[in-house]
Amino acid sequence: MSEFVPTPNPERPDDPFALRGRVALVVGAGDPLGRAAAVALAEAGADVAVASLRGGASEVVRVQSVANEIWSLGRGNLALDLNATVPDQIDRAVERVVSELGRLDILVNAADVVAAGPMEDWNLPQWHNLLVANLVAPSLVCRAVAQPMKDAGYGRIINIVSILAERGVANTAAYAAAHAGLLGVTRALSQEWARDGITVNALQVGFYEGQHGFGDDPESVQQLARMLPAKSLVKPEDVGAAAVALATDSGFITGETIAVDGAATARV
Amino acid sequence: MSTLDRFRLDGQVVLLTGAGRGLGRAMALAYADAGANIAGASRTLPQLEETAALVAERGGEAISISTDVADSAAVQRMVDETLDRFGRIDVLVNNAGGGAEGDGAPLEQLSDDQWRWGIDMNLTSQMLCARTVLPHMTERGSGVIINVASGFGLRGGRDNWMYVSAKAGVVNLTRSLAVTYGPAGVRTNCIAPGIFPHTPQALERWRGGRFIPVGRAGVAWEMGPLAVFLSSDASAGINGETIAQDGGGLAAIGPTGWAPNVPMTEPS
Repeated sequence: MSEFVPTPNPERPDDPFALRGRVALVVGAGDPLGRAAAVALAEAGADVAVASLRGGASEVVRVQSVANEIWSLGRGNLALDLNATVPDQIDRAVERVVSELGRLDILVNAADVVAAGPMEDWNLPQWHNLLVANLVAPSLVCRAVAQPMKDAGYGRIINIVSILAERGVANTAAYAAAHAGLLGVTRALSQEWARDGITVNALQVGFYEGQHGFGDDPESVQQLARMLPAKSLVKPEDVGAAAVALATDSGFITGETIAVDGAATARV
Repeated sequence: MSTLDRFRLDGQVVLLTGAGRGLGRAMALAYADAGANIAGASRTLPQLEETAALVAERGGEAISISTDVADSAAVQRMVDETLDRFGRIDVLVNNAGGGAEGDGAPLEQLSDDQWRWGIDMNLTSQMLCARTVLPHMTERGSGVIINVASGFGLRGGRDNWMYVSAKAGVVNLTRSLAVTYGPAGVRTNCIAPGIFPHTPQALERWRGGRFIPVGRAGVAWEMGPLAVFLSSDASAGINGETIAQDGGGLAAIGPTGWAPNVPMTEPS
């Protein structure tokens, strides 16, 4: 052979996307994208811990039902009643994942708290709450998983943001600010932990089917889908599959934002 | 369909230019592992035949086509030969290209012919292959095009002229292909590889990639999963997107490893 012959991943010669032996934590698993990511990771073979973003009965019920789905796939699972705005609770949740599922390789921050309205109507507590839910909480979870991932020399962090991180829509200043902020966190942490075996990437998701406030109203769905080549909104399971792609062993994609938006941001 | 099945390409046909070495060969092997058959094309037949032999070892069928991707008549023959043999083209990978004579020298010394050749090799070639394959794909109502750009398609480089210009063109050609042919069922995406040395000598020349944020150069097999993902149903939500796989280089700014420590000042 005249050339260096590339091998497939020596660790997983049969299937580079299989995640057997990996453990994932999905925060915001009660939301559509979190559920899709959790199920996709489990279908790919990972054991998955699912956590709520803000806790509370209704969110925890949804998270538990996702854990049940993972159980029915035959994977290890753990449902966590988490308020991810409280650092102590996050630390305890991460400890539980490591002690009950044995390790922590993959984190998906998937919560999506939607609120929109005219700028003049936003008060300071509302700004604060939206920034905490969509920016501060996922950042705190990244912070909490750093140590176990550094100890293992391996980690895959996937932060899910909206296309409003990069494009403007009226009435969404606070939401856009939070998501753009999480992209900044993603890039900075990709550098900070670059030599620890931890990749930090973002999936920038277009308006998706079932998205609270944007994708769950037939009229806006029709309007938004008309702009897209496929004439349909993004499907949560497509975001789940993209999360699996970023969770693979290949560690050379980091600090990157991948648009899962059906070409919404490709056009003017 | 279960998530891992969405990443499969069983029975599909991939037309892959520049398949004789480096990333092209790595992608060919990953496609074979995913169940696809390969039409490999490049100027140099012996290298292609080595790739074809490796594909066959993995249970894939492969043909080797000598071509010049900057010559529209040769490109037409390449596509005809692929369709004659396999009857279909599911995926086109525009991977051929590379550094051109005149890149690396001051602009004042660049000849008109050097400019045109560099643009032809790295940009016109991708347009020609897409233009020739698209009628087949739109007729079938499905297909995937993957264009290979470079980090230099998104950033400038000193004394780098045709390569940066052509690769930036590839990034935007990708977007227009996506929005134009998306409605006909053809998705087009782009991969922007960072530094993937093909030989131990090249790895040495790049100083082992020590200046890359993750502290190493890319390994060829790491390109396989990304190419397979973008070719498969798993990436159904992604169209018109450019994905960098560069060890965090594009997310970075400033000297590698620079991590400032500036204490937070409290308001007085």
